[in-house]
Parts: sequence; structure tokens; C-alpha cells
Amino acid sequence: MTNTAILSTRHVTKKFGGFTANRDVSVDFHRGKLTSIIGPNGAGKSTFFNMVSGSFKPTSGEILFDGKSVGGLKQHEFAKIGISKSFQITNLFPALTVLENVRVAVQCLQSVYNIWTPRSRHAEWVEKAELLLELVGLQDRRNDLAENLAHGEQRCLEIAVALACDPQLLLLDEPTAGMSPEETRVIMNLILKLLEHRTIGLVEHKMKLIMGVSDSIIVLHQGQLLMQGTPDEVKNNDEVKRVYLGKGNH
Amino acid sequence: MKTKNTFQSPVLALLAKQPALAVMALLAVFPLIFPFHSLAINILLFGLFAAGYNLTFGYTGKLSFGHAAFFGGGAYGCGILISQYAIAWPLALCFGVVLAGLLALLMGLLAMRTRGIYFAMVTLALAQCVYFLFFQVNSLTGGDNGLRGVNVNTVNFGSLKLDLLNPLVKYYFMLAFVAIAIWLINRILNSAFGSILEALRENEHRARACGINVEGTRLLSLVISGMVCGLAGALNAINLSTVSIDSLSYQTSGQVMMMTLLGGMGTFFGPFLGAGIFLGIEHVVTGITERWQLIVGVIFIILVLFFPKGIWGTALARYKK
Amino acid sequence: MELSFNLIAQQLVTGLALGSIYVLVGVGLSLVFGLLTIVNFAHGAFFMVGAYVGVFVFAKTGNFWICMVAVPLITGAIGMLVERFLVRPLYGRGIDYPLLLTFGLAYVMMDLTRMAFGVQGEPFEAPEALQGAVDIGIGMFPLYRLFLIAVTSVILFALWLFLEKTRFGLIVRAGARDPLVLRVLGINVSTVWLTIFGVGTGIAGLAGLLAAPMRGVSPEMGVPILIEAFVITVVGGMGSLGGAIAAGLLVGVVVSFTTLFRPELAEFSMFALMAIALIFKPNGLFGRKGLMG
Repeated sequence: MTNTAILSTRHVTKKFGGFTANRDVSVDFHRGKLTSIIGPNGAGKSTFFNMVSGSFKPTSGEILFDGKSVGGLKQHEFAKIGISKSFQITNLFPALTVLENVRVAVQCLQSVYNIWTPRSRHAEWVEKAELLLELVGLQDRRNDLAENLAHGEQRCLEIAVALACDPQLLLLDEPTAGMSPEETRVIMNLILKLLEHRTIGLVEHKMKLIMGVSDSIIVLHQGQLLMQGTPDEVKNNDEVKRVYLGKGNH
Repeated sequence: MKTKNTFQSPVLALLAKQPALAVMALLAVFPLIFPFHSLAINILLFGLFAAGYNLTFGYTGKLSFGHAAFFGGGAYGCGILISQYAIAWPLALCFGVVLAGLLALLMGLLAMRTRGIYFAMVTLALAQCVYFLFFQVNSLTGGDNGLRGVNVNTVNFGSLKLDLLNPLVKYYFMLAFVAIAIWLINRILNSAFGSILEALRENEHRARACGINVEGTRLLSLVISGMVCGLAGALNAINLSTVSIDSLSYQTSGQVMMMTLLGGMGTFFGPFLGAGIFLGIEHVVTGITERWQLIVGVIFIILVLFFPKGIWGTALARYKK
Repeated sequence: MELSFNLIAQQLVTGLALGSIYVLVGVGLSLVFGLLTIVNFAHGAFFMVGAYVGVFVFAKTGNFWICMVAVPLITGAIGMLVERFLVRPLYGRGIDYPLLLTFGLAYVMMDLTRMAFGVQGEPFEAPEALQGAVDIGIGMFPLYRLFLIAVTSVILFALWLFLEKTRFGLIVRAGARDPLVLRVLGINVSTVWLTIFGVGTGIAGLAGLLAAPMRGVSPEMGVPILIEAFVITVVGGMGSLGGAIAAGLLVGVVVSFTTLFRPELAEFSMFALMAIALIFKPNGLFGRKGLMG
């Protein structure tokens, strides 16, 4: 089973001082599939998400990406190895234009320390940024400042920026948060389109959405893994029903 | 980043749109309209010092209280070679700049590992360490008495002979180096690295997630900043023919910080404007009272409370609408 | 040089006495940082002001003990005025602005002191009761240094009682861990911060008074102490009271022993310690585990 997994966690635990946010979580993100992470509030989803995306180091346990251990890497190295993330609260470069937001993200992996060459010399970075903007439908807003975009547009920009490093594994933290049903549909279509070329990990609260699109669902509860399985398996699991689904979440 | 501006005066408009060019032009005509040429040289060199400091505070947002170490390091590096070892001034200048860069590298490596708010304290303490070291090696540096005999009185460029004892000639000689430095800074800010700096200033977390090595980026900009400050210090050693131990003191760090804040951080013209105003006020006030620190402190407090963007920064922000 | 037990014991006591001053200054700084997230660059100036307030009160009353009560109260009151009118407007503007403001404030405080008391420093005599040496069983030790160590211990104990055993102390600790907690609980945050700033600066002022018999009094006396306070904070960990105590004593003892063997390196030893801390433990001995770490 593990050789179809692009990313696996083995007995991953995260402690903050005396508080254990995640305990002994072992899951797989299978290649080319969409895996969702769900759980009630306080289940440790954010912590777990932050660990697999490089923001936290696990206290113990392993995180394997393409067979290599990545748990100890620094945050900025994750983008280089092919894992990219979007944030739960929109996290862009506010006073830069929409185009520049994506362009600089594209540039990051090519050149950071070049103090000599003017940035305008590299047209290919601009071209790639334009393509990404088209993909998320923001090409008409390219010269607007990121902070002036509507909420839904900012979430789209967030995804475009995350795609700039051409990740094999794209991790999205509540991409549809605060969006209308129409906007949600647009984002989900985008995500499914992206799935054609990469693996996606998703943290979400909208149950119907998750059941509809996920290939695999990870259920966390009180920091531990309750189960990982297909939507049907999760729907029919008694413990999950008792702990989570039975609470009347849409 | 383009700015839409509605500056009435064409001079100000040029400053906003093409800052590097405009600043160089302004500095070129400055001594022609300002009769106090020695003071003008001070403004020129401290403006460069502030421009270097600006690279760290204005562009990467890291508050350093230790930049005197780079200024003084450059001054002593250049000065010692000229006065103690009779080395030619071009080489001595380069040595001063490189020494300052090395000090910045060392300080950066030690200070970068600390969390944000530590940086100010650590740089202050490390700069004091440098002060102490230079003070102790008084056979080389002259200790409390300072370094004397940094004499570069004439400069020969082939058949052209420049008499540096003439303040106006000295000004334009120094301006040549300052202009090169400004040009380099401008080039760096417009380079690929410049856009990384902008992104980092906008949102550090996002920058990290995109793959930017934040510590490495900050270290590089600190080294560049240190080298610019070192150049200012080295030129000042030649300017004054002496180096005082005070050039390494925390008061010097405080002065450059004040100049940058006064003029406007994160802008091109701000540091030079701030240096001009600061030194101008000092010139006037020290003729009246000894309580110079009181005036400086009060101005500082007023700035921080009411004009954090500085004079030029506030002007730019108002006209950017 | 002969290394006798007595010599070592003397240097140890000197080091602990020196360290006690460092501890008091460091604790005041950490207290303000832990709760307000402000690095008070005028902390050294408050140290100096405390010493001068002591000079003033002593001139009026001739009584050192009255000074010990008056100095922290007066210095703390000045601190509270500063917080209320100069620092408070800066909250929410980013961590750099209070730094800058207090930096300028230090300049102002130094020059105002020069205007009031002159630019020359002066010595400050310890009260007669505390002069001389005393035999504590293992040898003769300067009484004032022993007094310093004792007083610091008492102050630290009182501070501990205040933080651990009173309701206000509980609020301070909770607020240090998470400032939002206070607002949520409906507690007036401004009053808490005002008080803590006063306590922090008051302790600094008291430290200045206590240091005066050892160092004399001068308008510049706050400058080196600020550097020393920063070194201690880096070594011990910002916002950690336990760290401030441990680091303060450690630095005091290290400097004291370096003075014995290599006096020209004494000042440098402090920086060497800081460099070592920065290389191996950048977050200090106690890191940042909240105020009581």
C-alpha cells in the first residue's frame, strides 16, 4: 500500500510543552488522489496539516515524502521538494499586485540571491505567472493590489501562489472558507482540475463537499487518528458517527 | 512599483518616480546652493550611512541598534591602513568596505538565529563588543585618543590632480563614490533579489512557504547594508583625517537610526533628507546649548508618536493617492 | 597568585552581589517584556534615575532605609507616567515603535538629570550600618555585598509571592501567556500594563540605588547596565524570570572571576558568554516558556 503513497506519516506526534496536539498519527496520501482531513474543533487538524506542510516539526515520528524523510526540513525547503500549501487565513503579499504575487512565487524557486540581474530580464517568470492566473480565472485582475481583491478572489490567488512552485503535493487549508455556494463550486471545480496532475490534501468542514470529492478521508479526534478510509467507509463507521457526523454537521 | 503622483513641483515628482537619478542630481548641485561645504560633506557621508542602514530597517524591517560597528569598522579599516601602513587610499577604501562586510556577516550569523525582537538587543550588545575590541587594541587604533594621520591630501588620476584640502573638490571626490553606491543600491533593489526583499517585507510567512530562505535573505541584505555603511565610514576617515572611537558607539547607531526615521524609511531620498535635517539642526543647536541629547531625544519621541513615516515618507504617502 | 578558599569565596560573594544587581535589572526588563512585549530601551535610564532619586531623598532625610522605600515608588510612578502618555499610544503599531521611543526617552532622561544634578558623577556612601566587613563563619566578607544578596533575595521572594499567590499576580501570569485572555475575561488590560510597567521600572530604580555605593552615581551609569541587561536577557531567555535570575547570577560570577584572573578581559567575558549562548541556545537557557519559565 505504501508505494502508492506520495506522503506518509508514521506515528507522528506533536507536543507543545505539556500539551499533546497530535498523538501517533499514521496516514497516507495516495498519488493522484484527493485526501481530506476532517475532525471536530480541537481535533488537531491544523497542527497535523502544519506538520505535513512544513510549518511545524514533529516531536516524534516520521514524515516520508517519496520515500524520503522530510520531517526535519525547514519550511522554505518544502516548496523546493514539491510540497506546497495554502493558508487557512488568507496569506498573500498585500501591497503587491496580483501578478507580482504569483510572479515572485515563481521566481523563488529559480533565483533568490541574484542581486545583479534586473527582475524584468526574466520574461519566463511573468509568462508562467500569467498562465497560473488564467488557470484560476484572475487574469483580468493582474494589476490590482492583492489587498483590494474580494475574499473569494483572494482565495483563488492563494491557490495560484501555491501552484507557482509546481508542487506534486498541494495542501489546501479550508480553501472555501467564507465563500458563497457559487464561489465554492468554482473553487472545487478548480481543485478537481488540478487533481489531474497532482496529489491534493484538503482540510475542510463542509461535509457534503468532502463526501462528494474525496478519494480518501482522514478523521482526527482529540489529536489522534480515528480512521482513514473511503467516504463510504467513513459514513458507515459507528465511531465516526458517534463522535462527529452525529452532531448534525451539514 | 509605479506611483501615481500629483506632486506640483517637478523636482518632487522626479524624486518620487526616479529616486536614484534624482538623488544623484540633487547631491550634485547641493554644494552650489549650500555655502557650508564641510557640512555638506558630512551630510553626504551620513546620508550614505543612513542609506545603508535603510537597507536593513526600511527594506527588511529588522531594527538594528548596532550599525555603528560597520561605520566605525570601515573607518578604522581604511584609516589604519593609510595612517599606520601607508597603503594607497583605493586599497584602503576597499579594505574598509570588506572589513565592514565581514563584521556584518559575523553579526548577522550570531543575531539571525534569535527571534525577531531579540535582534535589536543583540545587535546593540554585539556592537558594544566591537567597540570594546577596537578600544583595547589601542596600539593600532589609538584607543580613547582615536586614530590620527589618515592623510589623503591630493589625489592623482593620471594627469588630473585633485586637491582634497579644498572642501568643494573633496565633496565632488566623495560624491563620485556615493553616486556609485547609490547606483548599486538601486540596481540591487530592482534586481531579482529586490523582489524577494519586497515579498519578505510584505509577508514573512508567505515568503517562507513559497520557498524563500528568510534568514539567508536577511543575512545577505545585512552584509550589503554593512558594506555601504562601511564605505561611508571609510570615506569619513579620509574626510576628517582622523577616526574617533565614538564612531563605534551606540550614540552613532542611534544617530543614524534617527536620521533614517526622520527622513523616511524604505525610501531613497529619505535617508539623505534625514541626514541633512539632523546635521543642520545639530549645527544650529550646538551653537546655543550643550543639551544636545535632550533635543535629539524629544525630536525622536515626537517622530515616533506622530510621524513614523518620516518627512519624505509622509509626503510620498500623501501624494500616492 | 595563590588560589585560597578565601579568595575564591570573596570573589564568589562579589560575583553574587554584582549578579544581584543584574538580576534585579534583568527581572524588571523581563517582566515588562513578558507582559507588554516591549523591550524598554530606557530601562538603564530608570536605573540611573533611581540612583539620583536616592541621592535626592538621602540629602533630604539622611536615612538610607527611607530611600529604599521611596526610590522604587517614585521611579515606578515616573514609569507609569511614561507608560500612560508615551508608550500606550503605540500599542498595536508593531514591536519596533516602543523600542524607538524608549531609546529617545533615555536620551531625554539623561540630559534632564544632567540639568538637575550636573554632568559630573559623584560617589554615594553606603549607610554606616552597612559598611565594613563581617565574619560569617567562613571568613570576613564586606557587609554591603552580603546585604545586597540578601535584599535581592527578599525582593525576588516578594515578587514570587505577588505573582503566585495574589489574584493580580494570576492575572499577570495569564496575560503573559496569552494577552487576549485578559480582554476576554473583561479585565482592564490598561491598568494591568500600567502597573507592571511601574513595577518593572521601580525595581530598576531600586537596583540603581542599591548599586550606587558600589559604582557611584553618574548620568551615564544607565548605559552599561542596559547592555548588561540585554546580555543577561539573551543568555537567560526573554520574558523568563527564572532565566533572568540564573543568567544574572551566572554573568555576575563570571565577570567577577574574570576580573580576578584577567581584568582586561572582564567586560569581554560577558560578551563571550552571550556569543556562546547565541550559538548554542539562541532562545536562552530557559527559552520562552511564558513568564514563570
